Amino acid sequence: MTNLSDVRVDVAKAKGLPNAHYVSDTVFEEEREAVLFANWSGVGFGKDIPNEGDAMPVDFLGMPLLLVRDQDMQVRVYQNTCRHRGMILVQEKGNIRGTIRCPYHSWCYGLNGQLRSTPHVGGPGQNLHDDIKRDELGLIEIRSHVFMDVVFVNVSGTAAPFEEAHAELIARWAEFADKPIYHGGADSSFTLEVQTNWKLAVENYCESYHLPWVHPALNSYSRLEDHYNVEEPLKFSGQGTLVYQQLNGEGGETFPDFEGLSDKWDTSAEYITVYPNTLIGVHRDHVFVIVLEPKAKDRTVEHIELYYAAPEAAEDGFADLRAANTKQWKLVFEEDIFVVEGMQKGRMGRFFDGGKFSPAMDSPTHMFHDWVAAQLEPGRMAAE
Amino acid sequence: MKNDELLAAFDQGDRRKIMTLYWDQGLAKLADGDENAGCFYLVHAYVFALEDGAPEAEDIRSELKKRGREA
Repeated sequence: MTNLSDVRVDVAKAKGLPNAHYVSDTVFEEEREAVLFANWSGVGFGKDIPNEGDAMPVDFLGMPLLLVRDQDMQVRVYQNTCRHRGMILVQEKGNIRGTIRCPYHSWCYGLNGQLRSTPHVGGPGQNLHDDIKRDELGLIEIRSHVFMDVVFVNVSGTAAPFEEAHAELIARWAEFADKPIYHGGADSSFTLEVQTNWKLAVENYCESYHLPWVHPALNSYSRLEDHYNVEEPLKFSGQGTLVYQQLNGEGGETFPDFEGLSDKWDTSAEYITVYPNTLIGVHRDHVFVIVLEPKAKDRTVEHIELYYAAPEAAEDGFADLRAANTKQWKLVFEEDIFVVEGMQKGRMGRFFDGGKFSPAMDSPTHMFHDWVAAQLEPGRMAAE
Repeated sequence: MKNDELLAAFDQGDRRKIMTLYWDQGLAKLADGDENAGCFYLVHAYVFALEDGAPEAEDIRSELKKRGREA
């Protein structure tokens, strides 16, 4: 068990999370339960299951999930496991026209998770048996919530409702949170596989300190002093810029803006981590979302999606501008790879002590460490 | 029921054809007075009707239900 006493103190005195939080399988598993399963983690996107009956299996840290668009067009998430013999139900993304049929003995479930039929369960030609109570054998539903098209799940079922857990963020971004967003399509979607612990991607995203060094192209218009820290203790953290400039096409065209934004957003943009693993950036004319998929203690897949404020921005007329926007962000995110991978390698240095934060520049990162440590405390206290 | 026809329907993933073949066979067996065999095939027809979202699922279910074999 790691010592977190130096983490949960003021940033001026704090150290970062110990190395084991990045290089130990044991701590990775501890964090899976206490940090990722016990909170609201991003696991997918609504845009991937747009139609009634669309279903997509997701392996989330070894937990088989099935994302489904039900008959009311709501996203639902089930454990992707048949209640009969534990067979995986759906192995490939597709559309379910009728029921979810287990490929083993053909137990059938509705899109609402209800067990519809149990063929031959009472013997050949007999679908009924007194001991097979269908109303007790529906699919196990995992708590889910869609925010900015991200499908969040709380595997443990113990977190506060999403709207409560993230009330401060929803309020902060009220001007965006209640508006529809439009995914840009295939040209607005990419993944990056990085050899790093998922938390290092969060930590790098949270702070602007690295921008002039890792993203030199930003120096021409987005200087370090144009950024500010975003901090809500034990809730979320990130950074903002005061000098966001809209992308211009060859003819000077720009993406349409979200309607009704206050003046603040003319030149501001914010980049916040929805703890634990979802990174969101909001701008007057587009939103990007990064869901970090932890694959192992030192391996993470970043799923990156770009959304726009108006449906026409997702159509052919904006294809070139969308491609330019995707290219611009992809460059930035690729520039970050060497640092998140480098910090992972650096944590093999056994004398690294978690690191010394800059109280002025690193507090959003420390805030994330403090939150992670806070999530681990109850389980550790219970184990004592 | 022609076995090769059924296997071809499986090969093609043609759930509607599978359902129809099983349904026809089930009804034929029932007509012959063989309820167990008839219901066996109707169960299969029902499963593929459900999976396909076919409107016939309700009719097949009714056939099974009136014989106490489906809810």
